Amino acid sequence: MTSTIRARAPRPIFGRKQSTNPVIRAVVRHALIVCALAILLYPLVWMVAASFRPSNQIFTTLGLFSSHPTLSNYTEGWGAGRLNFSRYFFNSFLIAILSIAGNLISCSVTAYAFARLNFPGKKFLFALLLGTMFLPFQVTLVPQYIMFNYLGWINTYLPLIVPHWLGVNAFFIFLMVQFIRSLPRELDDSARLDGCGHFRIFTRIIMPLALPAVGVVALFSFVWSWNDFLGPLLYLGRSDLWTVPLGLKAFLDSTGQNSYGGLFAMSTLSLAPIVGFFILAQRLLLEGIATTGLK
Amino acid sequence: MTSGTTPQQTLTKTSAGREATPRQLRWRSRKAREAAAAYAFLTPWLLGMVLLTLGPMLYSLYLSFTRYDLLSDPKWVGFANFVQMFTTDSRYLKSVGVTLVYVLVSVPLLLVVSLLLALLLNKGMRFLTAYRVLFYVPSLIGASVAIAALWRMIFGADGIINQALAVFGIHHSSWVGSPHDALTTLIILAVWAFGSMMVIFLAGVRQVPRELYEAASIDGAGVFRKFFSVTLPMLTPLIFFNTLMATIGAFQAFTGAYVVSGGTGGPVDSTLFYTLYLYLQGFAELNMGYAAAMAWVLVIVLAAVSGFFFWTARFWVHYGDE
Amino acid sequence: MESKGITVNIRSRTTTIAAAAAVALLMTSCIGGSRTTEAQSAGSAGKGEVKGAIGVTWWGGDQRNRLTNAVADMFVKEHAGVTIDRQSADWASYWTKLNVEAAGKSLPCVVQLQGRQLNDYTKSGVLIPLDPMIDSGAIDVSDIPKAVVDAGRGTDGKVYLLPYGVAYDAVGINTTLAKQAGVGLPAEGYTWDDFVSFLTKAQPNLSKGTATIGSEGGVPNFFIGWAQANGKKLFAKDGKLGFSKEDLIGYWNMWEKLRKANVTMPPDKFAEQGGLDQGYLATGQMMTDTIPGNLLAVASKTLAGTKSDQSLTTIPYPSGPNGSGNPLYPSGLAIAKSCQNVPTAAAFINYFTNDPAAGKVFAADNGAPSNTKVLDAQLADASLSATKKHELELYKQIVAANPGTIIFPPKYQATFEAPFRRNYDEVAFGRMTVTQAVDKFFSEANASLGQ
Repeated sequence: MTSTIRARAPRPIFGRKQSTNPVIRAVVRHALIVCALAILLYPLVWMVAASFRPSNQIFTTLGLFSSHPTLSNYTEGWGAGRLNFSRYFFNSFLIAILSIAGNLISCSVTAYAFARLNFPGKKFLFALLLGTMFLPFQVTLVPQYIMFNYLGWINTYLPLIVPHWLGVNAFFIFLMVQFIRSLPRELDDSARLDGCGHFRIFTRIIMPLALPAVGVVALFSFVWSWNDFLGPLLYLGRSDLWTVPLGLKAFLDSTGQNSYGGLFAMSTLSLAPIVGFFILAQRLLLEGIATTGLK
Repeated sequence: MTSGTTPQQTLTKTSAGREATPRQLRWRSRKAREAAAAYAFLTPWLLGMVLLTLGPMLYSLYLSFTRYDLLSDPKWVGFANFVQMFTTDSRYLKSVGVTLVYVLVSVPLLLVVSLLLALLLNKGMRFLTAYRVLFYVPSLIGASVAIAALWRMIFGADGIINQALAVFGIHHSSWVGSPHDALTTLIILAVWAFGSMMVIFLAGVRQVPRELYEAASIDGAGVFRKFFSVTLPMLTPLIFFNTLMATIGAFQAFTGAYVVSGGTGGPVDSTLFYTLYLYLQGFAELNMGYAAAMAWVLVIVLAAVSGFFFWTARFWVHYGDE
Repeated sequence: MESKGITVNIRSRTTTIAAAAAVALLMTSCIGGSRTTEAQSAGSAGKGEVKGAIGVTWWGGDQRNRLTNAVADMFVKEHAGVTIDRQSADWASYWTKLNVEAAGKSLPCVVQLQGRQLNDYTKSGVLIPLDPMIDSGAIDVSDIPKAVVDAGRGTDGKVYLLPYGVAYDAVGINTTLAKQAGVGLPAEGYTWDDFVSFLTKAQPNLSKGTATIGSEGGVPNFFIGWAQANGKKLFAKDGKLGFSKEDLIGYWNMWEKLRKANVTMPPDKFAEQGGLDQGYLATGQMMTDTIPGNLLAVASKTLAGTKSDQSLTTIPYPSGPNGSGNPLYPSGLAIAKSCQNVPTAAAFINYFTNDPAAGKVFAADNGAPSNTKVLDAQLADASLSATKKHELELYKQIVAANPGTIIFPPKYQATFEAPFRRNYDEVAFGRMTVTQAVDKFFSEANASLGQ
């Protein structure tokens, strides 16, 4: 006898529970998530709140709110002692923008070649690209330093910027390759029929369509450059060249219990651009990451 | 149509030895031009490859057999650096131990936490976008100096972590000042930044076809069986990817350890990450040959680990078409 | 297809050859010694026109930076046409930075150093001897005690460092807390045994959150003071350790006894201390500590801000059978070999050390002025704060007791100080016995000292 699977409403045995269950389940789920988020983000929120508290009150309480909110941490921390955060923020922005530009250009042209063109050695070079994604940076750290030292680039921004113009971020290249591959080839073909050479196809067709990937690369490039610590630590000795992470570290080193307010204020300011840009572009970014992972 | 470049002599014969037809010639010249264009596009990357990656790697290999302090010429010492690392340098072995503990604890924790939360967020609920964003923020800033400095504060003797514990009657001494606990704070920092892994898992989880779950339900599977028999197998490619990337990333951790320990490697080297020790040897003590040797050992180990991963993948990673 | 294969081979082979050539070229140029043309400054007598640009680098916190900049500004004002590029860093990063710059031959002209690191740099030949400049009068040492000038000599006997400030370490005591604890101050000429009983006596009477002294067994200078007081030699001729394992075992056992009696602050809390300016002593959380003598003024200021009813003072280190346990630590300025403007650099060094107006502005911020006239002028200054006066008078007291100066071997900081602290911490955290830690310290230090 054939037993048919009947897609029918569940039997009344579940009764009333069935109708309230989803709501309760949803509430519980939301509660768990909010709990997890609260624990996760509390240190961050606490720091921001603490930056508005007078320094001597910072460690006295777990709580967020203070009876004497103040902006003095921001004004004092900005130029505390020999620190000059105007300079540091400017330097960080400068390096970040130049790195982003370099990354966008070098990674997209490389990605176009891998995604759209055929050439001898392609398999080998692509394997090389993937290999560098897994290469630990330590192995090039010392020789790169020696090389830049020899070139006299220590205490300049060049070691931090030039590599990005030479496609050193395999991850970004890979991301863009995946994205460009997903664009239909018919567009290329029709452009070629119209007489476009590769360069024209690249600039007129592919790049405009690749804006989502470009956005992801730009955002990540900004975040990585802004947060970069080891690079500036090695190459930027003069304090007027420092980036924000170096300024924060110097602040931390010279700081005793009485100046944590300033440190937190400057930390908050240093995190604000990243979080800000991210929130503005978050949809773009999160979709982009998700698709990369799903090779 | 095609601007004719004269094909070279070598292109005029087919493999069968006959003269190539005009169509074949045009196709070959187009291939040649495509190759030329490709290499033109690849120029920045190739330059970077040679000058910034391959060249330095080879030079680093050479340096690892020398003693070099930047002030005088490198002096060839053969395998002395490697011998020293594994026999007389107890700090090296300590750094390996610290790094291994960090990797072996933080990576599984990361996987479990991010997977759990991805499952929790799975049901296409309201506020999903907002939740996703909020969970992601820590991973964006986790490697920054600001957060590492914050960590050093909150895990101090009078920091908010200890204050929170005091509410429950637990009295703990300084986390960052104590050799037992300093590494734990860094592991917590790593796991705190689980957001990026979670987002990837979330995308993967949402891609599991509903039909599979329905079929499992009909077979009488409960929540747990559904997870282990449907969700988990479907996620194995992502688990593989995430584990590999997280492991490689964990071996390269630097900023957190540096800031939390004040650049020293923490109370009695308890936070002496491999990268930190490499930095101290290479740039603080100017033993560049030794640092290069350390770097190459890391490369070999990571290559072995990655190779191992890729090999075992065969046994447990299911790509959806099976 | 074959034909395509051949073209491919030719093209890729050319690329490969070009790449290999580039790499090889790069490697040889890096390997083949980076001896850039050095300034013809070796042997220079430092006489010449004082103009142009020089770079000056030093370490310090806020106050030091402010004062150093002020003196530099004065120099620039007095010598039109001179510009000074200033580079400062905190203590820890300063040495890394200096190493890097030395390696890149980009050291600023004027480099601040102490005797402790001097020989790291004289060994690799990145500094120029100052003797010709002293002889020619470009640098004047007539008002500097000979023993102090000698402290600036390298292992070859030539003067590389012109000391401008002589520091000493002291025991800082919070007098208010000491009085509350019923112990007052140790008597003059007290020994280490007296010190231990002083601390042990005070401990039960201090409130729970206040430590008697920090976890100081791993502080190298404290040990050096002890070694000096007890007549132990620190370094042998070849630069290796000159004292015996038993000596160190005895010393660390002494600290272990204190730790087990809860006299010292728990090491994990102690490890959290940031800069000494606002450290535990300066914020009234500790009764005693070892501090550089010139920290008294800054720490007192901090204490006044946090616990205005308390005050600090400093006393010399404990002495012993061999006399004073207070070696002197000079800080001074040296000139880098890569300096392109030696006359101006020499003039600056001379100005910084000897000029009375500069001395007045700098206000002995980095130890007592080496120039006796400047020192006396400081002491005679009516506006001198009480703490500063005390610091300078204590210096005179210590000098009068004929302390030694120590010549530190190359690599001292990396191979003595760091392992010393670390190995003591292993003991303090209960991870090693004293004997094990001393063995480990000896093998680590002797492996690289003096190389």
